[in-house]
Amino acid sequence: MPKVKRSKKPPPEGWELIEPTIDELDQKLREAETDPHEGKRKVEAMWPIFRIHHQKSRYIYDLFYRRKAISRELYEYCLKERIADKNLIAKWKKQGYENLCCLRCIQTRDTNFATNCICRVPKAKLEEGKIVECVHCGCRGCSG
Amino acid sequence: MATSKSANTYNRQNWEEADFPILCQTCLGDNPYIRMTKEKHGKECKICARPFTIFRWCPGARMRFKKTEVCQTCSKVKNICQTCLLDLEYGLPVQVRDAALKIADEMPKSDVNKEYYTQNMEREIAQTDGTVAPGELGKAKATSDMLLKLARTTPYYKRNRPHICSFWVKGECKRGEECPYRHDKPSDPDDPLSDQNIKDRFYGTNDPVADKLLKRYTSMPQLDAPEDRTISTLYVGNLGEDVTEKDLRDNFYQFGEIRSITLVTRQQCAFIQYTTRTSAEAAAEATFNKLIMKGRRLNIKWGRSQAQGQTKREGESDQAHLEPVPGLPSSLPHPEEMQNNFFNLNAPPPMLPPPPGMRPMRPPPPHPRGPPPPMRGPPGPPGMRPPPPPPGMLPMRPPPMMRPPGFMPRIPMQTVHYPSQDPTRMGATGALAPPGTTK
Repeated sequence: MPKVKRSKKPPPEGWELIEPTIDELDQKLREAETDPHEGKRKVEAMWPIFRIHHQKSRYIYDLFYRRKAISRELYEYCLKERIADKNLIAKWKKQGYENLCCLRCIQTRDTNFATNCICRVPKAKLEEGKIVECVHCGCRGCSG
Repeated sequence: MATSKSANTYNRQNWEEADFPILCQTCLGDNPYIRMTKEKHGKECKICARPFTIFRWCPGARMRFKKTEVCQTCSKVKNICQTCLLDLEYGLPVQVRDAALKIADEMPKSDVNKEYYTQNMEREIAQTDGTVAPGELGKAKATSDMLLKLARTTPYYKRNRPHICSFWVKGECKRGEECPYRHDKPSDPDDPLSDQNIKDRFYGTNDPVADKLLKRYTSMPQLDAPEDRTISTLYVGNLGEDVTEKDLRDNFYQFGEIRSITLVTRQQCAFIQYTTRTSAEAAAEATFNKLIMKGRRLNIKWGRSQAQGQTKREGESDQAHLEPVPGLPSSLPHPEEMQNNFFNLNAPPPMLPPPPGMRPMRPPPPHPRGPPPPMRGPPGPPGMRPPPPPPGMLPMRPPPMMRPPGFMPRIPMQTVHYPSQDPTRMGATGALAPPGTTK
């Protein structure tokens, strides 16, 4: 979530290339926030927020690490301005966490038996035909 | 619960703090590695309304989470599972168990009385070693036929399934495949089974499940012994693969001597032939619908092995061409009549005992009436006996040294004379003789 007040420093080069996409995602986030919660389960209300947050971080992460389309300067600017979640990106760099959906799903201290979320269980280890939809972010499995 | 250290704890209501729940096998589920959460004083007991320790666990894959519903005192008083309120020993509702064991447990239901009762019960539980239930239940220990017949042999895990999705019933469930609730047809609201409540089940009143089980017991099949008294073979079915002949012998020997056991492994059944009919009847009575071996309820029926069938047919053919021969003595007395009366002591003394010297002259066959000669062995079962001759043809030929037949009284078992029965003989009626004569 970016701060409302940006720093005075002008954004680095290449910002105008990614700005429309970021703005569009911001717009979607705004919509998700104002969306009515009627007819939704209590846990379901937060799912779109988590998804858009993941999408935005993923966009910056892909541009810098996969496609190498933006400069390090711009990438660091995005992290500093909290356009991308640096904690989430830090996890993505680790093996086994490449597709992690959100940080809440690996927060073991929040659970009764100090376990990860069900979406962190690899498909092969789940029982046959089990359909997963985690309560934290609605993830359907982010671990292989 | 004392809220401060200085608070007076005299006669205060006890709040339960348990380390382990009291549960039945079904409620625990099939997973041996179960994880449970414990919450101290999590909720109030649904019966005595005192706070107690809640345990919560998932009894296996695709099952709903379960938790303890009544406190351990209430559970111990009735010897029931804390969650499903079924008897821990038999897995049956309290009402059925109480009806079978004839327990009339009057538990108070008003507030103050209930508190007083629980307090007393807790004291009673604390005094025992915890192996015997307090109150009426601990005293009634005779197992009942009904309980053995109705009891479950294996855990019934279907009871742990999720509840039916109420949204799906209305046609509004949007969760589809992810829905953790069961998408199934709801039970009929007119069905009495769909109207249960925890208090009635605990106190054992108006329990529809118990009514159903009691009705089932009354309509249970009875095993009728066959008419043919020669059959002493039992058929045992549903054996499974790992029941050996030794297992069967070990179990069935308790009812009487076994002549043979034929184990048919392919059909998973066995034939157990007893030497006597009475032991076969005892075995059938004791095991029918009750015997559980290696986790399977055995199927007990009356049977007839091959050899048995043949002897029966021979017996019938014997009977077919037997005709009463005039002049023959009537049939031998039934062995029961002869029991403990080997010397005909209870019969009135013979009207005219022949002089002892004449005895050896008398031709031994045919014996008019009396105990059978030793070489003939015990008489066969009643079905094998030749039919007695018609009354008009009763002994025509008078025994030697007797009065004419018209004079002879028709009292059985008195015509044979043994010297030892002679009342004049010393020691024959030792107990009856006056003390002075014997000494």
